[in-house]
Amino acid sequence: MLGKLLKYEIPALGRSLMPLYIGWTATAVLLGLAVGPLSSTSDFMVIVTGMMYSAVATAVVVMAVVMIIQRYKNSLLGDQAYFYQVLPVSAAEHIASKSISALVWILLSGVAMLLTGLVIALFSGELLKISLPELFRALAELKLSGWLTVLLSIIALAFSITKSILGIYAAITIGHQVQKHTVLASIGAYIGVLTFETCAGRILFAPISRLWYRLDDLASFNLIMVVAILVSAALGAVYFFICRYLMENKLNIS
Amino acid sequence: MARIEINGLTKEFTGLTALDSVDLSLEKGQIVGLLGPNGSGKTTLIKILNGLLKPTAGTVLINNMTPGIGTKKAVAFLPDRNALPEYMTTDQLLELYQDFFEDFNREKAEAMIADLGISTSQQMKKMSKGTKEKLQLCLVMAREADVYLLDEPIGGVDPATRDYILRTIISNYNEDALVIIATHLISDVESVLDDVVFIKEGRVVLHKPAETIREETGESVDQLFREVFRC
Repeated sequence: MLGKLLKYEIPALGRSLMPLYIGWTATAVLLGLAVGPLSSTSDFMVIVTGMMYSAVATAVVVMAVVMIIQRYKNSLLGDQAYFYQVLPVSAAEHIASKSISALVWILLSGVAMLLTGLVIALFSGELLKISLPELFRALAELKLSGWLTVLLSIIALAFSITKSILGIYAAITIGHQVQKHTVLASIGAYIGVLTFETCAGRILFAPISRLWYRLDDLASFNLIMVVAILVSAALGAVYFFICRYLMENKLNIS
Repeated sequence: MARIEINGLTKEFTGLTALDSVDLSLEKGQIVGLLGPNGSGKTTLIKILNGLLKPTAGTVLINNMTPGIGTKKAVAFLPDRNALPEYMTTDQLLELYQDFFEDFNREKAEAMIADLGISTSQQMKKMSKGTKEKLQLCLVMAREADVYLLDEPIGGVDPATRDYILRTIISNYNEDALVIIATHLISDVESVLDDVVFIKEGRVVLHKPAETIREETGESVDQLFREVFRC
């Protein structure tokens, strides 16, 4: 059933973000033109298009966070729960589908940011100045340990994002245990989640704290990434089980 | 074995007892009216049967299972509000139901939707309130479920739509199924009811066949309801 949930969840979350991505690309084109072919005419265009680009980028981030929270709250704890919570699907599958689709759209937003950077470079003419043979040579010089670092960093980022999403979901689910002032209770619960995370992070990272001063050493950096993945996985699992326990045993759709 | 067996069911909210030691046994093959005024506990009971609320005390068994994935496969639920994703078209909603409910009969749903002249390409958010309610009902009644839980299915719609909804319930439910209609609009549903449950302040105050009520009291269910629940 998880696959079926994702079939509907991923497009549902993307409906509001896709138009923003298109707008983001359009402002990237304008900014690229302003700093490139049109740069001699006026600085005014660079300032205006730069502000437009930043505004849409901020809107994408804000909208992504708002949509992730709203989708979870409305479909599993709000009015739409009258449909979604009566589907023959486990609480774990519901939570997993929401987390996966949120992760997908956050990562896609990151990819969109890189692409808009490329669009700016392309339209400004800067991209043409990059020597492809030099770029490939630089990539080829990355040894196995270098690629491992890149891979571990990406995995650590994905785990950290998922942990943060599950932390928000846990706070919302805890907040819904209160029959009145659920939003206030959710905010309070989120402060609790952040406090718990800070304390747990300090304890779990303590054994490798000396490595923070040796980040120029790839092996130390890789070890920190591995520990970060494990810490995110452990915290994410705690938040996941809080959501699942409350949804299975204390669900109260008002 | 009863289709639904409820024993000592109690649900308390802060400062309120919504259901108070409810015992109820409902057999298949009948349409049951769960009747009571607003705030009497009908919706709370329906929500517990659907797993949307957890009881404070007591047990609920549907097909001998506590509410969970197993019962959700067997129960078709029509809530008292629109809970479907409004951005979806009728076609997309048909696919959604087909994906999640093994007992969903798409041909039956398409026939009902065509019969009502509902556009299959229109988004739900662009439909009128009545059309949304009819579409939801078509999707729910097109399931070949063991239990149908219909919460206020005729509330807030015009008389013509009420007639259509009641005709749809009678003509589409599986004869081995149990249909529960929770409503306070007694006169409109009385003619279709086999069994009647009166619920008052969270307690079941009467559970009898509709025909027995009429024979014993010489009154209609609606008249008896007005007496029992007189303010």
